[in-house]
Amino acid sequence: MAQILMKGNEAIAEAAIRAGCRFFFGYPITPQTEVPEYMSARMPEIGGCYLQAESEVAAINMVYGAAGSGVRVMTSSSSPGVSLKQEGISYIAASELPCVVINVMRGGPGLGSIQASQGDYFQATKGGGHGDYHLIVLAPSSVQEAIDLMGTAFDLADKYRNPAMILADGIIGQMMEPVELPEMKEYKVDPEKKPWAATGWKPGDKKQRAVINSLYITTEELTELNERLQARYAEIEKNEARWETYNMDGAEFVIAAYGTVSRICKAAIDELKQEGINVGLVRPITLWPFPKQAVRDAVMADGVKACLTVELNAGQMVEDVRLAVNGAKPVEFFGHAGSLMPTAEEVKEQIKRMREE
Amino acid sequence: MKKIYVLIGNFGSGKTELALNIAFEAASRGKTELIDLDMVNTYFRLTERKKQIEAAEIRLISPNYACTNVETLSVPAEVASAFAEDWDTVVFDVGGDPAGATALGRYHNDFAALEPEQLEVLCVVNVRRPMAGTPEKIISLCETMERSARLKVSGFVNNTNLSYATTEAELRDGYETLREVSQRTGIPVLYTSGKKDVLEKFAAEGHDSAYVGRLLPIDIYMHRDWDSFTKLGK
Repeated sequence: MAQILMKGNEAIAEAAIRAGCRFFFGYPITPQTEVPEYMSARMPEIGGCYLQAESEVAAINMVYGAAGSGVRVMTSSSSPGVSLKQEGISYIAASELPCVVINVMRGGPGLGSIQASQGDYFQATKGGGHGDYHLIVLAPSSVQEAIDLMGTAFDLADKYRNPAMILADGIIGQMMEPVELPEMKEYKVDPEKKPWAATGWKPGDKKQRAVINSLYITTEELTELNERLQARYAEIEKNEARWETYNMDGAEFVIAAYGTVSRICKAAIDELKQEGINVGLVRPITLWPFPKQAVRDAVMADGVKACLTVELNAGQMVEDVRLAVNGAKPVEFFGHAGSLMPTAEEVKEQIKRMREE
Repeated sequence: MKKIYVLIGNFGSGKTELALNIAFEAASRGKTELIDLDMVNTYFRLTERKKQIEAAEIRLISPNYACTNVETLSVPAEVASAFAEDWDTVVFDVGGDPAGATALGRYHNDFAALEPEQLEVLCVVNVRRPMAGTPEKIISLCETMERSARLKVSGFVNNTNLSYATTEAELRDGYETLREVSQRTGIPVLYTSGKKDVLEKFAAEGHDSAYVGRLLPIDIYMHRDWDSFTKLGK
């Protein structure tokens, strides 16, 4: 298929449709509004359902309902809107249902800004809602990767009966890049593969009634759910960590960064190389499960003196990088909160400073 | 004689890039005003190039609150200067959908008072954009924008591109699609634009000049700072 020019938000929407998503419930908020706008035009063309809910809270509960029937469903929002969805997300995780949530992050806290941010790393990877649960969190660094990860997000959500989140910064949502789209996929709920799906029950059906629930009357039952969830999270951590490394051969320092910021860091790395300074990059693609071993291996490689984590926030992923390295080598942080994008020049200055210390 | 260019078209068609190119070229010849009338987009807008525009002695008019954290932009009173003051060239860069084109409707009487040869309303087309990729979509978008803007399109600009990955194949597909659009609507193709090297290769293919129009070589202003971001992740 020929390449086309797409805005990240449109690409995310079209890729979801091509992954078999036929249900979208959402509410507008900058910088992700093109996702619902695109869905509102596209869903009727393919016999899907687009509904603008009265609020983010309503939208996520519509997702909860649709997910209970086993279909591929998603919602999208930006930071403050995703905060509103957290109760619903916790219910969906507790009910062991697959769905995809998009967060195109903007500056915070509070209403914050409409410009790009990575301020929701903690919220996405450490819970966000209440209780012991995890989302599978995928962080694209290009529009093409956002497309590719949409399919992955739906597949992983189905495989593990767990909500997945695409965590993109505002730049990924707003910028246009040439992309290739995958083929259209029709998704049919297979009752053999999804025996839990509530698809309608008649008297005389041999199948047990499907009940979608997150309330457990006895502590024993709730303990059993939590044990099952924790075993599943351990399985996800074992199987699903994804990352990319760049320029690791002979690296003197390693930069850890994700999303748009990782591309700025790549530019800095290329420029530093011209000046004879070799710096590697480790870019987590899954933020949960965090690619602990890959980050540790990159930083612990022979010749690497220290790690610099760069983020568009006040320092969030750096905590996971420090846990992965566990004190064996210094891990420093550089970033801006308030949506002021770090520049390649600033990253280069940080590396040069670390070299002199 | 004052000449006013109004650029409309689907977002992602390249209106802002063209507006900058037309304005920079015009500024080398006379008094130029550039109006950022994009009331839709919050990222990647003309006003981000304010310093560069003003350094070329072009007067820039921006919506109130452009490039801040406020998304409810408002039309500034200074837009009236396009009609009231003495300019050689005025360029309007308009939001990339019918809602964006609505902002032009408010100036209906001012546009109507111009001599026909003073006004060029250009519908910028990029057939690599999924919402503007077929003759049907282009015609429908063009008609809806004409209604919202209360203006008639003078002609099309074939600005088909894939950002940094553009080749002559993009312009060729744009040419073929716009030829059909032009035959069906009677609206001429007035310009074909692109980076100089790509445009030269396209021109060398020997297409019917009736559907090529004038060749408009452009420089890229909007992406220069973003080169570091646009290096592909993999």
